[in-house]
Amino acid sequence: MTRLSELPTLRIDPYEELRFEYDGRPLTGVAGDSVATAMFASGVRVFSRSLKYHRPRGLYSLDGECANAMMAVDGVPNAAAETTPLAAGMRVGPQNVRGSADHDRLGFLDMFDWAMPAGFYYRLMHKPAAMWPIAAEQIRKMAGLGEMEPDHRTVGRYTETYLNAEVCVVGGGPAGMRAALAAAQYGARVVLLERRPWLGGSFEHRLRSLDDGTPAYQRARDLAAAVKAADNIRVFARTALIGTYNDNLITAVQRGANGDDFDERYVEIRAASIVVATGCIERPLLFENNERPGVMQIGCAHRLAHTYGLLPGRTAVFSVGSDGGLECAADLADHGVAITCVADCRPEGHDPELVEALRQRNVPFLAGWVATAAHGRKKVRGVSLTALDGTGTRDDSCDVLVASAGRTPLAGPVTMAQGKLAYDSHTGCFLPASLPARLHVAGRLTGLEDPAAIETSGHGAGLAAAADCGRAVETELRECDERLGQLPGPAAGSGLVRSPTHGRKAFVCFDEDATVKNVRQAIDQGFDVPELIKRFASVGTGPGQGGLPGHNLPMLVAELRGMPPESASPTTMRAPMVPVSMATLAGSSHDMCKRTPVHDSQKLPGAIMRRIGAWRRVRYFSDDLLCRAEVRNVRTNVGMLDGSSLGKFRLWGPDALNALQRIYVSDMAKLRPGRVKYSAMCNDDGCVVDDGIVIKRADNEYYLTTSSGRAGQTVEWFRYHTRYDGWDFKMVNLTDALGVINLSGPNARTVLERVADARVSNDAFPFSGYREFTLLGRVPARVMRLGFVGELSYELHVPSSYMRAVWDGVAAAGTDLGIANFGVEAQNIMRMEKGHLIVGSESEQRTTLNDLGLGFLWSRNKPEARTVGSVALAQTLEQPDRLKLVGFRMDDPEHTPRDGSIVVDERIRGWVCVARNSDALSQAVGMALVDEPLSGEGTTLQIYEDGCGGNLATARVVPMPFYDPGGARIRM
Amino acid sequence: MSFLITCPTCGPRKGYEFRYGGEDKGPRPDEAGLTPEEWVEYVHMNRCVAGVSKEWWFHRDGCSAWFTIWRDTRTNLQVQVSNDGPEEQS
Ligand SMILES: [Zn+2]
Repeated sequence: MTRLSELPTLRIDPYEELRFEYDGRPLTGVAGDSVATAMFASGVRVFSRSLKYHRPRGLYSLDGECANAMMAVDGVPNAAAETTPLAAGMRVGPQNVRGSADHDRLGFLDMFDWAMPAGFYYRLMHKPAAMWPIAAEQIRKMAGLGEMEPDHRTVGRYTETYLNAEVCVVGGGPAGMRAALAAAQYGARVVLLERRPWLGGSFEHRLRSLDDGTPAYQRARDLAAAVKAADNIRVFARTALIGTYNDNLITAVQRGANGDDFDERYVEIRAASIVVATGCIERPLLFENNERPGVMQIGCAHRLAHTYGLLPGRTAVFSVGSDGGLECAADLADHGVAITCVADCRPEGHDPELVEALRQRNVPFLAGWVATAAHGRKKVRGVSLTALDGTGTRDDSCDVLVASAGRTPLAGPVTMAQGKLAYDSHTGCFLPASLPARLHVAGRLTGLEDPAAIETSGHGAGLAAAADCGRAVETELRECDERLGQLPGPAAGSGLVRSPTHGRKAFVCFDEDATVKNVRQAIDQGFDVPELIKRFASVGTGPGQGGLPGHNLPMLVAELRGMPPESASPTTMRAPMVPVSMATLAGSSHDMCKRTPVHDSQKLPGAIMRRIGAWRRVRYFSDDLLCRAEVRNVRTNVGMLDGSSLGKFRLWGPDALNALQRIYVSDMAKLRPGRVKYSAMCNDDGCVVDDGIVIKRADNEYYLTTSSGRAGQTVEWFRYHTRYDGWDFKMVNLTDALGVINLSGPNARTVLERVADARVSNDAFPFSGYREFTLLGRVPARVMRLGFVGELSYELHVPSSYMRAVWDGVAAAGTDLGIANFGVEAQNIMRMEKGHLIVGSESEQRTTLNDLGLGFLWSRNKPEARTVGSVALAQTLEQPDRLKLVGFRMDDPEHTPRDGSIVVDERIRGWVCVARNSDALSQAVGMALVDEPLSGEGTTLQIYEDGCGGNLATARVVPMPFYDPGGARIRM
Repeated sequence: MSFLITCPTCGPRKGYEFRYGGEDKGPRPDEAGLTPEEWVEYVHMNRCVAGVSKEWWFHRDGCSAWFTIWRDTRTNLQVQVSNDGPEEQS
């Protein structure tokens, strides 16, 4: 197809060809094309098949307002071909077709619309209930959009950016650009968002001259140049708004262009003030077959010619409701399209200059006429028109029908920010009626059509935004308002929604194949408000997000129900305003994790690291997932574990003890220097949230540890539960400031003696002791003697900056003994063998201290402390039928159930928290939470595992600990 | 959570930095004689007003302070109130 190559408005280079593939055929476009325009240039007219009826669909808005031109592009389904720039080598294919878009074997479904009334899938296919899964599968096969391969991996660069702007302008048309320039002129930092690749809006493709004789497109380019030259305006082109939110938060998605370091990115902006200048889209005219390929909106026909140099057809009929349609008809006549006639549903109020332009071109102009039906099976071949006053009808043949009922202001950004709209009978539009604070509107969105008024309103909105940012603009703003008052106000529009037709094939929503008839059916079913009809009849719930039917649905419902138009209100707009890919929302997937101070020295050959909470830690030091060598070395010799992720806190101040008494269940007044105290924290339901060690280092000076996963919430927890008390205490999270080495095994003392400058004999440093001394002659350490893994064990807390040196020093001191690292899983096995629990592994949200058998930690002698959890612990103490923690031994020592397997009899009776094949015990043992009647020693538990095929494993409840029940080894 | 919250220490910050801490229900009651119903009432029951509500927030990604604000639950916007606010509307 030859292009109009001399137009000054073109955005293509007609001489730079780009080859691509459509449905297996090689096609050619040119630089600057969208995928859709390149296909159109190659002769494609049927772009897709519709959702339910598989009707042929073609180009309609050219802005991606509906699903008509959704394609699979390079394996990615549902790409909007109208807004996807063409690139050489692209592979494009149709979707939702059997065969091709031109010859779809499911096209016959269009005749069966009577079988698919509004909401048919809700009403007809649920009885009997067994039918639904079958029906749903069949419907999904036939109806739907693109298909994605289950193993599809999205490749590309997806990033995100967060901006703080003083003024954010949404929409880069004349009003938006003037607003940006006005705010920038007062020094405001401005961000300007435009969804198309270039600025210019409604001026951008138009040749018509403005009042001063400048063509509109030229004015758009002049303004764009001024915007570009302004230092304090950042332009984000190809950026579509996702949503506006409270306190002027804006989210958007930007498509990358050549030279950008992203393919798509998420943009989030917090602005002191917002100007919404999003303009209007066109309102579809409702008539029979109003979506036949060849039926298109004014902007689509106009921009095909002026932006892409493509004539929309040879012979055109217009049925429009705005002056833009008249202008387009005159332009297309100049480009050589035969305009059979221009019908305008407005009986009067036309721009006389444009009426005269049509007359000069011998184009018949039919005021008060409208299309009632498009004819032709796959493409438009003709159209029936009627006079609205009933004085006549006519039929014309054509291959393009430019149809539009009027304009729909794009007010979504206003209503999503809690602004309100009201129906305006002069313009026939829903216009912004009340605005949230620090948000302004300008341009065609407010109903204006006069170019000077559009620009002036933009200028004024920019000044108002600058005022929000504290700039003194009063004088200029007053002058601007006065000037605007002298310019033409909002242009009269047509209130017409639907041409006189029964509406069986008049589509309100293209995406969901919903017709006027479907809306009437929904009303007949008793639905009365547009919000419900929208959902029941699926109007505006497709990828277009209700943009096209957003105006017509409420107006149609009012009309069909005999209500005045003023009573209508549009359905709620919600984010995302445009389809956004999951990859963009996911952003760049950097795994943000914390590393311990000795991370590098843990990454030994064979070590398997895992993400554990916020940290990356070694779980296994070999591929033996039972960790037998690691465990054996600790049980018989000495091992060391990097425990730096442990939560560590300093708590001090005159009320520090009060805080401890509030948070911990034990009586913390009994703390003695030099001793560790193990205790637990509960929530107000008496359920355990954490456990750990508390040490009194001096009066009003405490050191405490928490589990790794809980460390991030500990300060918050202490302060929350003391928030009404006004206590004087302070808390510092030392988790990252101190590293931890767990030195465990019968030879641990020998190693410690070699690096410590203090006596560490069993008498000098007994079990449960706490000491502060120096390691390696210079590193201060806090050392506690514990027994989590069930052996003689020391925890060395040293400053993170010295951690590597201490680790290497301890390792060197134990080399001759055969000291070796052990990992998180070996620790897990050993603590399980010892019957020590981990909060979150052997407990869940409902597990109380009593359920875990830890009731002995709870002191009932401090009611004045109002300890968190104490009330519920007392009140649930005798509660029957709770889940209790028990130890169990598998009857088959070779079989270990997976963690999380369920305990069953006739019903679920509990679940396995942890179970391991214990090398030390030559048994398979574990811990489970089970119904209290099953918790007695000797009870048989039946365990169901995923995939066990009904063969239940059996276990017996046994006392804990499994290993060293007398505790001699931790005290040796 | 898109709205801004004014932290008494740090000033206005985006809502994502904070954690919600529930309605302001006053200090913990005395334990003596508390029935389970009274306790559950204090811990779990909320007024859930459609209007201005006084509530606790924690500046998690900031100064780690708990503080109260007034928020209009209908608009999800913080309401600036002097002298610790009006009576809650219900
Ligand atoms: Zn703060």
